[in-house]
Amino acid sequence: MMIKYDYITFALTLILVITGMIAIFSATGAGATDEQGYFLRQLIWAIVGILVMFGVSFISLRFINRFSYWLYGISMFLLLLVLMVGKAGQGAERWLVLGPINLQPSELAKLATIMAVSKFLADKYADVNKLKYFIISVALILLPFLLITRQPDLGTGLVFLALIIPLLFWAGLNWFHIFTIVTPIFTMIFSFNFWTFMVLMLVIALILAYSRKKPIIMTAVFLLNITVGILTPYMWNQLRPYQQQRIMTFINPEKDPKGAGYQIIQSQVAIGSGGIWGKGYLKGTQTQLRFLPAQHTDFIFSVIGEEFGFIGASGILFIYLILILRLIKISSSIRDQFESMIIIGIATIFMFHIIINIGMTVGMAPVTGLPLPFLSYGGSSLLTNLIMVGVILNISRHKFIH
Amino acid sequence: MNELTRQQLKQRKIIFNIFVIGLFLVLFYGFFTIQVAGRDKYYEIALDNSVRELIQHPVRGTIRDRNEKILVDNRPSFVVSVIPRQLSAEKLEDLAQIINEDPEYIREKIRGRHTFLPVIIKRDLNYQTIVKLEENRLNLPGVLVELESKRFYVDGVLSPHIFGYVGEVTQVEASRNKDFLPGEMIGKSGLELKYDTNLRGVKGVHFVKVDAEGRDLGMINLERNIDPIPGMDLYLTLDYSFQQFAESLMVDKRGAIVALDPRNGNILAFVSKPDYDPRQLAGRIAPEIWYKLQSDTSHPLYNRVTQSKYPPGSTYKLVAAIAALQEGIITTKWKAYCPGYFRLGRKVIHCWNTKGHGELTILPAIKHSCNVFFYKLGLKIGLETWAEYSQKFFFGQPTGIDLPNESAGLVPTVEYFNSRYGPNGWTKGNLANLAIGQGELLTTPLQMAQFAMILASKGVVHNPHIADYLYDAQHDERIYFPSKINYVQGISDEVYDLIREGMLNVVHGGTGWRASVYGIRVAGKTGTAQNPHGEDHAWFIAFAPYENPVIALAVIIENAGGGGAIAAPLAGLCMEKFFYDRILPRRVAMKDTIQVDSLESAIRIKVDAIPSLEISSPDSI
Repeated sequence: MMIKYDYITFALTLILVITGMIAIFSATGAGATDEQGYFLRQLIWAIVGILVMFGVSFISLRFINRFSYWLYGISMFLLLLVLMVGKAGQGAERWLVLGPINLQPSELAKLATIMAVSKFLADKYADVNKLKYFIISVALILLPFLLITRQPDLGTGLVFLALIIPLLFWAGLNWFHIFTIVTPIFTMIFSFNFWTFMVLMLVIALILAYSRKKPIIMTAVFLLNITVGILTPYMWNQLRPYQQQRIMTFINPEKDPKGAGYQIIQSQVAIGSGGIWGKGYLKGTQTQLRFLPAQHTDFIFSVIGEEFGFIGASGILFIYLILILRLIKISSSIRDQFESMIIIGIATIFMFHIIINIGMTVGMAPVTGLPLPFLSYGGSSLLTNLIMVGVILNISRHKFIH
Repeated sequence: MNELTRQQLKQRKIIFNIFVIGLFLVLFYGFFTIQVAGRDKYYEIALDNSVRELIQHPVRGTIRDRNEKILVDNRPSFVVSVIPRQLSAEKLEDLAQIINEDPEYIREKIRGRHTFLPVIIKRDLNYQTIVKLEENRLNLPGVLVELESKRFYVDGVLSPHIFGYVGEVTQVEASRNKDFLPGEMIGKSGLELKYDTNLRGVKGVHFVKVDAEGRDLGMINLERNIDPIPGMDLYLTLDYSFQQFAESLMVDKRGAIVALDPRNGNILAFVSKPDYDPRQLAGRIAPEIWYKLQSDTSHPLYNRVTQSKYPPGSTYKLVAAIAALQEGIITTKWKAYCPGYFRLGRKVIHCWNTKGHGELTILPAIKHSCNVFFYKLGLKIGLETWAEYSQKFFFGQPTGIDLPNESAGLVPTVEYFNSRYGPNGWTKGNLANLAIGQGELLTTPLQMAQFAMILASKGVVHNPHIADYLYDAQHDERIYFPSKINYVQGISDEVYDLIREGMLNVVHGGTGWRASVYGIRVAGKTGTAQNPHGEDHAWFIAFAPYENPVIALAVIIENAGGGGAIAAPLAGLCMEKFFYDRILPRRVAMKDTIQVDSLESAIRIKVDAIPSLEISSPDSI
């Protein structure tokens, strides 16, 4: 008798991990003796990770549920610890050294935060549309965000911000509240031009007028947007030029062709020169001759684009798409809110990493240093991602049993 | 625990799916635009990224004489280069010590070039330095000893004014010709400059695969490589053993000898002294040597044959004689009286023979080079006619020899005098002076040799040239240069015959008797040019044999004295060597020996084998 298990999710994960191993092998010198270490180390992490994934998928769900707050507490403590005694890696302190293993607590914090928020909002009396529950759940997310951006690791920090809306929406946050959260962000962006700002304000006013909310609430939301719109350019001008520069480079890296712009350009050249069919495995000139920066970590997808072409790249993109859609499907078929929210949280994190990382390789997203799930070199990241898949397999296993 | 309704879940699922699919479509679109639509553009960039062009320099063509004897060849020269990425600061100090340069000099050379591409530090290393570098090869990573070729002059070869020299391209030259690369070696003067394009050959390109740091990964794409085309070999019209002989006559003298073949304009000898050893300017030119050559007061860098301008002295009397006879101003019977001096206004000018030549006609006047006769003749001819005939013989303009920077000389005309002295500022005295080849008139030795050629061939002017042909080894083919012929217009055969007879008399019993050669009828004219720099310049122009000339030459020795005493013997020796390929025993020695009879048979005229040209002036055709 076949064991009831989510073989599809498992298979998709396995394909991605194997693709990652193949790409890392190519990106780190194709077995050249001095760089073999990368491939072998990643292989060990992959094997360990898959074993751990299996383990996690058989843990009692009740235990996971109870353990949520503890895990959150532990990971916040570790993040604080990193700020105090962390090891510098590329100018930012992200690592904790535990004997022979370097840990990146921000990876663990992702899962812990999802679990904590899910548990908090899955409570029988919890209602996300009530201010108290709303503020507490947002605070649960903002705490790791602030700790991580202090490291400083803005990219990983943004992953947490990206969690807010999908998680709360899945928990039942109504559209007006989402509207209230989202509009100030648009206002910030639009406030730099007077006419776009005026048009946006008009649209907001119209939507508010049809919302049938209390006038005082409508006025408050409208005033909030006006205030944000006026303050943003003022705050921008208060920034030092180098701070403005840093933000501009983050938004538009091609303005800095020697730094982040160089990476984008070389990555585009690698992917573009791959053409439809690619240059063939281990035959990418950009990859093999080291024109690609960070090609085994952040730019691993450029290696696939160059050596396997449009066919290979869209194939992997398609597998990612299937995986995300499958997670949404599982999530929407589960009645238990805690379990459902965990899956949607994990899907959001995967989605954010995929879009930002792959978008970056073709110049559609800024360079943030976010790894690509399952493919990028890096033990902490791979292990965390596999643990998250383990949690999903665990939940889906129960779903099939019910 | 909260339970979610089916309705809620379905609605949220749809919204999420739309978001996810939408974002993925954007990514698919991004990959489509750069991988399918933009593939070619990025493929080009990727190629440029990883393939570097290495310029291959061709070997310069050799220069050979008419007997195909190599005169200028190439030899390997050693160059030390460094790979900036691999050279540590400490090793840089060691290298500086070995090549005997300041470490700052090396740092300056590699400043801002943090690559794997070698940068040349010093050219033309001496043997000890190469040995030291090789001994320390393992201790000096990033230091390369590379081969280059530099000019090599075969033993006994000098003639720097013919060959010129080769040097590194300057910024000015590089801006004028886009084909020149920094550090490339190009011809700077002489034949090396004139035929630079042919001698230099064509650069090739090798495509080398490199990584992101510029490290050489070995050759790729062999079919795309273009090999350099070696330069063509240049063959000269002269026989270098004759050239060497002519040069040996001029050792320790200042002046020039230039000999031409009047049948075709071939240069047979081309001597400018003092000169320098061309080996000094091969490869790296030491600044102190360059400075020494430039500041030397005897101007060894100056090509006296084509660039120096001298008053021609009495050799130029022939022009006045031709003008007067052709224009019918005088006949062969016209006589003038030479008392040894000539009074012009309040000035008295002396003939070189202060005793006076007495009454003479034109032929004896040429033979004895009487100044007074030609003063009087000059006044009769007038400046305009004199200048017209000077220009007919191509004085005052470059001959067009295939060497750069030729000087035009100067033929003063009425306009010239008017603009220089004002319409009334010059007198008949100026004209009288010009008639005997003094005054403002200036000619180059090459122009004088060309004049001798015209008289030898009765008006046919073959453009003087020193390069015979180029040999293109690629196509095994000789490339000859189109020959240019000019004719001196409007001078009759009778005039030529008379002048030629006068010149024959000069060598046979006249002022130029020292130029006579046993068994050969030589025609010539002496000249003794006064000049502001001291002693007179000794001139002699000649052609031989009289009936069918095969050589025409001009000799000038600066500040040496009389043309008959100083220049004529050298011209005689040159012709003796040319016709007999050796120097004959002196007649003085022969008188007492019994070998007088055998001498006749011993002398075999070499030029019999050369087919001679029909001599005719265009007017008689």
